[in-house]
Amino acid sequence: MTAAPFTQIGRALPRKEDARFLTGAGRYLDDIAPKGTLTASFVRAPHAHARILAINAEAARALPGVVGVFTGKDLALWTTNLRLAPPIEGLHPVEMTTLPIDKVRFHGDPVAVVVARDRYLAEDAAELVDVTYEVLPAITSAAAALAEGAALVDDALPDNLVSHQSFSAGNPLARQTEAARVVETQFDLHRHTHAPMETRGCLADWDRGREHLIMHIGTQAPHPMRSALASRLGLSENQVTVISPDIGGAFGQKIALYREELTVAALARHLARPVHWREDRLENLTAASHARETRCVTRAAVRADGRILGLELKLTEDFGAYCFYPANYMARVIAMILTGPYKIADYAFDVKVVLTNKCGNGPMRAPMAITSWVMEGTIDAVAHALRLDPLDVRRVNALGPADLPYRMATGELLEDITPLETLEAVVAAVGVPEFRARQKAALAEGRLLGLGFCSVVESTTYGSGFYKAAGIPGSGHEAAWVRIEPSGAVNASVGLMGSGQGYESPLAQAVAEGLGVMAEDVNVHMGNTDVAPYGMGSRGGRGATAGGGTLFLCAQKARDKVLAIAAGMLQINDTEGLRLFEGRVELMRGGAWEPTGLTLADVAKCAYLDPTNLPEGVDPGLDASLTYDPPPMTYSNATHACEIEIDRATGALRFDRYLVAEDCGTVLNPIVVQGQQQGAVAMGLSGALYEEVIYDATGQNLTATLADYTIASAVEMPNIELIAMHTPNRRTPAGIKGMAEGGIMGAIGVIAGAVNDALVPLGVSAQAMPFTPPRLRALIRSAGSGAPDIPRKERP
Amino acid sequence: MTEPVSISLTVNGATHDLVVAPRKTLADVLREDLGLTGTHVGCEHGVCGACTILIDGAPARACLTYAVQMEGHELTTIEAVAKSGELTPLQRALTQVHGLQCGFCTPGIVLTFEVWLRDNPDPDEAGVREALSGNICRCTGYQNIVKAVLAAAAEMRRGAGA
Amino acid sequence: MKPASFTYHRPGCLDDALGLMATLGVTAKPLAGGQSLGPMMNMRLARPEHVVDLNDLLELDFVRVTDAVVEIGALTRHHRVATDPEIARALPLLAKAAQSIGHYAIRQRGTLGGSLVHADPAAQYALVAITLDAEVVIRSARTTRVVPAVDFVQSIMTVDLAPDELVTAVRFRRLAPAEGWGFEMFSRRHGDFALVSVALTLRRDGHGAISNLRLGVGGVGPVPERLAVVERDACRLAADVGTIAVLARQAADNVTPEDDPQVPANYRRELVEAVTARALTAAVLKTESPS
Ligand SMILES: Cc1cc2nc3c(=O)[nH]c(=O)nc-3n(C[C@H](O)[C@H](O)[C@H](O)COP(=O)(O)OP(=O)(O)OC[C@H]3O[C@@H](n4cnc5c(N)ncnc54)[C@H](O)[C@@H]3O)c2cc1C
Ligand code: FES
Ligand code: FES
Repeated sequence: MTAAPFTQIGRALPRKEDARFLTGAGRYLDDIAPKGTLTASFVRAPHAHARILAINAEAARALPGVVGVFTGKDLALWTTNLRLAPPIEGLHPVEMTTLPIDKVRFHGDPVAVVVARDRYLAEDAAELVDVTYEVLPAITSAAAALAEGAALVDDALPDNLVSHQSFSAGNPLARQTEAARVVETQFDLHRHTHAPMETRGCLADWDRGREHLIMHIGTQAPHPMRSALASRLGLSENQVTVISPDIGGAFGQKIALYREELTVAALARHLARPVHWREDRLENLTAASHARETRCVTRAAVRADGRILGLELKLTEDFGAYCFYPANYMARVIAMILTGPYKIADYAFDVKVVLTNKCGNGPMRAPMAITSWVMEGTIDAVAHALRLDPLDVRRVNALGPADLPYRMATGELLEDITPLETLEAVVAAVGVPEFRARQKAALAEGRLLGLGFCSVVESTTYGSGFYKAAGIPGSGHEAAWVRIEPSGAVNASVGLMGSGQGYESPLAQAVAEGLGVMAEDVNVHMGNTDVAPYGMGSRGGRGATAGGGTLFLCAQKARDKVLAIAAGMLQINDTEGLRLFEGRVELMRGGAWEPTGLTLADVAKCAYLDPTNLPEGVDPGLDASLTYDPPPMTYSNATHACEIEIDRATGALRFDRYLVAEDCGTVLNPIVVQGQQQGAVAMGLSGALYEEVIYDATGQNLTATLADYTIASAVEMPNIELIAMHTPNRRTPAGIKGMAEGGIMGAIGVIAGAVNDALVPLGVSAQAMPFTPPRLRALIRSAGSGAPDIPRKERP
Repeated sequence: MTEPVSISLTVNGATHDLVVAPRKTLADVLREDLGLTGTHVGCEHGVCGACTILIDGAPARACLTYAVQMEGHELTTIEAVAKSGELTPLQRALTQVHGLQCGFCTPGIVLTFEVWLRDNPDPDEAGVREALSGNICRCTGYQNIVKAVLAAAAEMRRGAGA
Repeated sequence: MKPASFTYHRPGCLDDALGLMATLGVTAKPLAGGQSLGPMMNMRLARPEHVVDLNDLLELDFVRVTDAVVEIGALTRHHRVATDPEIARALPLLAKAAQSIGHYAIRQRGTLGGSLVHADPAAQYALVAITLDAEVVIRSARTTRVVPAVDFVQSIMTVDLAPDELVTAVRFRRLAPAEGWGFEMFSRRHGDFALVSVALTLRRDGHGAISNLRLGVGGVGPVPERLAVVERDACRLAADVGTIAVLARQAADNVTPEDDPQVPANYRRELVEAVTARALTAAVLKTESPS
């Protein structure tokens, strides 16, 4: 526990943004529409893989209200290609045009764009655009992509294996020969999509006189978005302003500059009119960005007591048709952090990423989602193979306090984490012996109860050191400014952009803490690249550590200047013994803080309006700016436990209990953190049980509506009991670690653990998600009625 | 007429004369013609619930209704829920227990439950979850929304009893 | 996702509506709750030239209960069917089925007539109507006809209705006080269309054995179907756990679900067994004499 040195950090403040969201006064992308705005609508490929032979847009252009119809050839005149060629061994460089010119690569690929007076007309016209295709064979699985003679998804590559890396530390093969057992386990995580409630969209406004693009776009990373827009439009970075309005959810889908958004920006410039595009739900589910679809196979060499001597991972990811991120980006993190809370020195991985005729993959909340399932599932499989208690196998392998800091086989450094503590906390809270008794009694009636555990070590904040080590160009630093205005009002800014996390209060708390004011008196401005400093945006769990940490340090810098001025005004020699507290300057006298009568407003007034009275060497004004590069990686950790029941007759799964003990270090605002934990777990469970992007054998996407891509409703989701633990990170400002993705990792892992625990009496195990009723029922059926220790007693 | 037609709409107690194409959805007319952008559009096929408004006091999908149909009906949108700026018990509970994150689903949920709680003043958790099933929230996991609805119900019962 | 253009008509009474249907014929679609037609039009899977809005036909929004019959107007919303006290007394099976349709907001708009005409294979109303031998009342400017529900619902989204006709009401047989009933369904998520749904009624003879079973299954074929073999074989079987298991199994053996990669035929058949067992159990419990 932190010894509460904080007064603003840690307050359970309700969120600033709530009042506007509750009254319909939020401003999301669609809520901004300058006069004369045109609307874009894309013509999309009906085939998974086809050559574009001709595009005839005469009829569409002739419709009243249509301003133009444009194709890949037009866009090539106004934009440059996206080339991704980081110097990573085994990764093929790739390049794509802004809109496809020669061929389409997935069902939903945009082939042309209509610009019209409104969306209704634009869709009328889009229907009239006549594209002639020559259909090519569709690659719809990783296996098909890697088959001999497979059609090429990207004609410029030698094959569909776009990325392949391997790594070995120690000697895992030798460990296999020494081991009592080698346990092989397979894990299939299916294709997901982010499905934020607000789909993608943008409003591009070209100021012809100033030659300046104003791009309104809900983006998690405004500055990188600006860099990408400027570079692809051939503009200078001082000719583009990105403004992010309120965002209705993103989950990783709103980071990259996608083709549609670039197209809209180019059209606004070409037409010198504001152009708006809002993706509809069919487009969002089929053509925005997908995620996951990863197969992992582990081989664990184990001692008779369950100690893992060596571990091998083989991973294959079905990346879809296009790379908006380096193809190794997500898979690599999985491989890097797989061993998580366990001591495993001998470790090797082989990671393949392949292209297929599906919508391209991108990072989705917890890009490394499968990691904990793979590790914990391996542990459970080891326990099962050796007939050991899965908890004992965890304990014999777990990193204890004495092992920390611990350098993983991959070189990653773990410190200030508490995996054994979170494990024991949930074990105690569950009451394992009592559960086992209930489970046994239920089994006697033919009912299947299961209990799972899943420990998570979540990589949260990626510092520059991580990118460097991974060979990915980019930085993990963040930037902030804090400004005290002449009235004493506090403004601050940072390069993040929230999409529902509720940054406004917690980040104000970080500023308030560092400066010495009330959080209510701080306004944090985000999302406008002309206002905010160049930062790396919101991704992973970096908001608190990188964003909050930078603001905290920057506010301290501003505070130092405030106190220096105050000392001068009070005619004291140094600032030792002075503090700013709730906006008032106080002086330590006889062991107690006493008022000085000075306030922040007095100091600000002096700084701005009476600079001749400033102490020597102090410049006028009161603003501070600062950048901060966090450690290469920060980690949070957690253990999830859940109790379920599977209905043998239908395969339906019901939650009896769900618990998480999570240690995410210093918490800026416990309300917000709790919301993130619940939301992440629910997203993980919904993904593991209900959601799946499905393509048929010809590459048609069958899950284009929310009736088919089935996100869990309130009825399906459990209540989540949280056990909060807070071990601060010693190397970050205020001990912040970050969080918000681990809930997904834990949920996926724990549901698999619970399901397989329930299935133990049947002698079957579930390896492929989603765990839908038909799938679970098929497993139960495959065990037959003569399954080992199960009585068959019918309940009416 | 596929041509635009003149209609008059009563929204939040005020009457507006408009010219709209018959095919224009009520959600689009509220947002684009009347500037009531608190009604959100998340799917346009009836599943997500973000566009839920009240037609004659009953919750309905504005994306599955055409504005031309609404002449002679009373419409209520999120903008009119907090009377003269004061949040309702439900809105207050939602912020107090953190029942919203990105806020995109929130207006539809508020309108649904302002009505539902009138018919179900003493609900249990299962009932709330059933009624909430028509509103998808991608952010919260629903737990705190359910908590807020139950808290608001208790608050409203206390208010009614007093 | 915006609908194609259409011309809008808003008749104020049934006669005007029938007149419009007669003139416009196949180019027109009646619009009731819009909860099925709306999504279809927004996705341009339906693109009627003319839309005839039925929402002002208040004469079609009614519930009339007599000694033998429950007659419900085509424009009656699901919410009313689900909560009407008279329906709860006279036909609780229908009320329960209506309560399970979609979600609260959907039920406020969706109508009985719209659901029957839309004819989704897994829709609750078609199943109940077929199970209870309900009759569909159909009118046009020319004539009125009454068609048994089982003949009305012909295939997936196909019903026995001419372009100028409207459904005006559905007549259900009222349940007898001694009659047991069950309605159960299995869906992926709450509010989704059922993978399998079962509606049934039964009575007990003087010895407590089952008699007069009516058993309908939805979601397995293009239309809900009655399982006549099971209905016949159930007669005079003891109303116990063993019989329920046998009948449920028999129900499963008598359906031929389509195979679908996500929902294999054998799985759907298993669901028929499980869901039928639940519905039978519920019905039997309702007929237990309170001794
Ligand atoms: C999210 C969601 C979930 C749903 N879940 C379910 C569910 O679980 N179970 C279920 O059964 N349904 C479900 N539905 C569909 C819902 O029940 C619809 O209300 C119903 O299918 C159609 O009724 P409607 O009044 O809305 O008809 P409309 O959508 O207006 O019309 C449907 C069709 O019927 C025709 N029509 C309507 N009334 C008449 C009439 N009187 N005479 C002749 N033709 C007419 C129309 O022309 C159209 O072809 C769901 C819908 C949504 C959006
Ligand atoms: S937008 Fe209307 S229900 Fe989703
Ligand atoms: S708060 Fe984001 S969808 Fe509900």
